[in-house]
Amino acid sequence: MSDPVLRLRDLRVRYGSKSPVLDVAALEVAAGEVVCVIGPSGAGKTTLLRLANGFVSGERGQLEVLGSTVQFGPDRGPARRDRSLRRRVGFVFQGFNVVERASVFSNVLWGSLGRQRGLGALLGRFPESDRRLAMEAIAEVDLLEQTTQRVDTLSGGQQQRVGVARVIVQQPDLVLADEPVSSLDPVLAAEIVELLVGVARRHGNTLVMSLHLPALARRFADRVVGLRAGSVVWDGTSQSLDDRAIASIYGSEPPPSVAEVGP
Amino acid sequence: MNTESRATGHTVAPPEQSLGATLRRAAGMAALAVAIAWAWRGTGFEISRLGGSLAPLAEFLGRMAPPDLSALEVAAKSTAETLQIAVLGTFLAVILSIPPALLAAANLTPAWIHQPVRWVLALVRGIPLLLLALMFVAALGLGPVPGVLALAVHSIGMLAKFYADAFESARQGPIEALDSAGANWFQRVRYGVLTQVAPDLARDTLFRFELNLRESLVLGLVGAGGIGFYIQLYIRSFQYQRVATLTLVILVIVVLVEQGSVAIRRRLR
Repeated sequence: MSDPVLRLRDLRVRYGSKSPVLDVAALEVAAGEVVCVIGPSGAGKTTLLRLANGFVSGERGQLEVLGSTVQFGPDRGPARRDRSLRRRVGFVFQGFNVVERASVFSNVLWGSLGRQRGLGALLGRFPESDRRLAMEAIAEVDLLEQTTQRVDTLSGGQQQRVGVARVIVQQPDLVLADEPVSSLDPVLAAEIVELLVGVARRHGNTLVMSLHLPALARRFADRVVGLRAGSVVWDGTSQSLDDRAIASIYGSEPPPSVAEVGP
Repeated sequence: MNTESRATGHTVAPPEQSLGATLRRAAGMAALAVAIAWAWRGTGFEISRLGGSLAPLAEFLGRMAPPDLSALEVAAKSTAETLQIAVLGTFLAVILSIPPALLAAANLTPAWIHQPVRWVLALVRGIPLLLLALMFVAALGLGPVPGVLALAVHSIGMLAKFYADAFESARQGPIEALDSAGANWFQRVRYGVLTQVAPDLARDTLFRFELNLRESLVLGLVGAGGIGFYIQLYIRSFQYQRVATLTLVILVIVVLVEQGSVAIRRRLR
């Protein structure tokens, strides 16, 4: 088996002096896997993903992303992640994080900024290959009719499609998605998750995505990781994620609409 | 009135009225009253004497009427010069404000950079325009050029701060997204920040241009060009009817520019 795309060892994250928000003994994600992270609010899902993207640094432990390793310790400040590695990890945000005044096309094209150097890109000139790639990505997320529209004229679901297209243009090896559908209604949520998983499979990306709806994880993931109070309490195939497993992840708190979601 | 909720029968006490808050409010009002009384006494301001000053005021205004239209040519030329000084001074100020504004934005630079830069900008804001104009006239001689430079330097203190505030108002999320895509600092500023705050920058610039047009009138008093020079010349030589013409012309220009600027600013989004 090849090296894992993502590996956490003895990793602990703490904000201030409170109890750790994430405390993971071991977690590995292999190339090409589609992993969904579920768990109650405050379980550490977002922290796990932001850690993997280099937005958050650990208190101790080891983080390996796409072959580059960071060792966290008391004497190590948060080292800024280097540009070539940032380029290889795509991130889809809960709040979409699109530039609202800019067009769909611009937002998607800017996914290629990690490859651009020099003055041309600062003056708004991008290579023709990247411009074509942006159009293909817009087609893939089904927004061709809105290509030149400003993003603030789109609905939430459409804005997240822009976020997905931006990641396609980035051409990353690993895609992280932090609650990408938690602000969308259940039917739309299922559509976007299906789109994201489809994109990852078509482009051969590894996908790690946190979700607030276990039913979606069960339906679309290869593997489900259950987080509770910062620790991995469940890890298995999506087929084996039964109601008992869900109850053990969420504890006494009932998971949101375990029953059925989507069409 | 009782505080018993009809629905539940529970009695809930209203929030406490703290004595401290009451005292603080009273102290605030007292301080304000003292400040006004101090200023009133210090300036010898007497309402009864204002009535007596109405007659001299009316007499002065009377000497301005009717406006001497032979001064129109001078008015047109010198107004054009004032406008030119304001345009060029604002343009230079924009160019010179962008670098310190980027350095003064808390979301773009660490505290040890943006804090000192903000202090320097506050200092620059504190230098009166008239003082700057005197300095540049002393260095470069009479004429509009020292006026342009004085206006540019004077504007930086405010404009760079406003630009920095605009940069800081950019939502962090999209900037983070571009960072995550591998964008470098310049690319994040160009696409993440500038795209978001472009309307604010345009509004700030237009507002500063309006201010510059009005403030540049005093430049003429120290020989730094513009219509202000002729206004003070005619006042000193008691040609009040010419002063009236110049005042009316500049009034029209200022109102027109403000209306135009407001209309443009409203359209930015």
